[in-house]
Amino acid sequence: MAEVRARLGEPEAMIEAKLGDHIDRHARRFIAHSPFLTLATADAAGRADCSPRGDYPGFVKVLDEHTLALPDRTGNKIADSFRNIAENDGVGLLFFVPGMRETLRVNGSAYVTDEPDVLARMQTEAKEPMLAIVVEVEQVYFHCGRALIRSRLWDPASQALADELPSAGEIAAELMNADPVMFEQILEAGYRKLY
Amino acid sequence: MQKTILDRVERVAGDVVSLVLRGDEGPLEPWEPGAHIDLALPNWLTRQYSLCGDPADRSAYRIAVRHDPLSRGGSEYVHLFLQPGRTLSVSSPRNHFPLRPAPEYLFLAGGIGITPMVPMLRAAVASGAAATLVYAGRSARTMPFAAELAATYGERVRLFDHGRPDLAALAAEFPAAEVYCCGPASMLAAAEAVFPRVFTERFQPTRRTFGPDTAFEVVCARSGQTIQVPPDESLLDALTHAGRPVPSACREGVCGSCEIAVVEGEPEHRDDIGAPEGRMYACVSRARSPRLVLDL
Repeated sequence: MAEVRARLGEPEAMIEAKLGDHIDRHARRFIAHSPFLTLATADAAGRADCSPRGDYPGFVKVLDEHTLALPDRTGNKIADSFRNIAENDGVGLLFFVPGMRETLRVNGSAYVTDEPDVLARMQTEAKEPMLAIVVEVEQVYFHCGRALIRSRLWDPASQALADELPSAGEIAAELMNADPVMFEQILEAGYRKLY
Repeated sequence: MQKTILDRVERVAGDVVSLVLRGDEGPLEPWEPGAHIDLALPNWLTRQYSLCGDPADRSAYRIAVRHDPLSRGGSEYVHLFLQPGRTLSVSSPRNHFPLRPAPEYLFLAGGIGITPMVPMLRAAVASGAAATLVYAGRSARTMPFAAELAATYGERVRLFDHGRPDLAALAAEFPAAEVYCCGPASMLAAAEAVFPRVFTERFQPTRRTFGPDTAFEVVCARSGQTIQVPPDESLLDALTHAGRPVPSACREGVCGSCEIAVVEGEPEHRDDIGAPEGRMYACVSRARSPRLVLDL
């Protein structure tokens, strides 16, 4: 790290000043408008994993200024995040708001809950998630927009990049030596059932 | 949808704010006392709120919103994040709780259930009918509009800011009145048990038990598409999954957004609205006959 620090120089004082230890009103407003985040976890040995989480804006509930709750929706049922959290409670969250260049980083420690009052607040399309991840917040800070500016992430023209990729159905069919059309149909049927 | 500008946000009780939504494109659509609107929030959620302003004022709608501690994102958004000046879309008013002409009325309101009663009481008094409002809440500070109502209507308004009103005594006192009730489920149930006839408006669905959910088939009359509804899926979800989504909002049979016309077959109505003849609400209702033909 000393070598990296020597190359980069010290962080700007303004950046350090914005490091918070709780969800203030700006962070709360950001989370209330965020439909998407990435959740980083690691196992006991420190091997890391990162997964996407998304729903309507505000799907992550602010229980108080030191506590967040994320619903666990139907996904691939691999439960990597849950297994990691059981071994190692450290988590890192990166919240995105479409159109907004800055992102919000929240780091803390997590546990899994089935507390009815928490799950009740996450009801969507008349369905509650089976579980939620509660995050006890330790660090909160806004991350500058350079990465999103350089990546043109919110520029609609950037979506043309997806045209250059094979579909998920095509990739799966190739790996399993099966009919891509069938795989595509299975995938699309699954995608229609979101809750 | 109609475009409105949020003109004013005003705290009218400890956990209740009132919103004034001014029409942005001329007069707003007319409404009658008891009506509600869908409010589309910036966080993609749609919520239903009774109109509590004056129907004669076509320039703006007024609603009041209680901050639910177990908010799923609607009332919390209204309370914490909505700011005056913002553009908001609202639906045409719908009315499942219309005021029927009568010589005498008894209005029973509990908590935020006061909202539809404000214009209803005004209209009833204006019609020359005898009208009494019994308004109950957990404490005076959680009862919006209580002071104004008492000041305007005097002895016609009876406030209970702790303890419940004696409904049996009210039934004996007003044997001939048409009874309208809006409030928590416990109050609605108590009123339905005491009064021979009571018109109710629900903000939450009643908890009832139905027969087992069975599979049925629906045919979309206009497109000819046939869709199977499995036992573990709602008609609304089955339509969405088959690529024929219909508008919806509450998904619990209280708001009426997902109304569908039934051409053939017998629906099993499970809503709290009381579906009109030939209509059903796809979010909760199912089928008694093995097949329904829908006007889709």
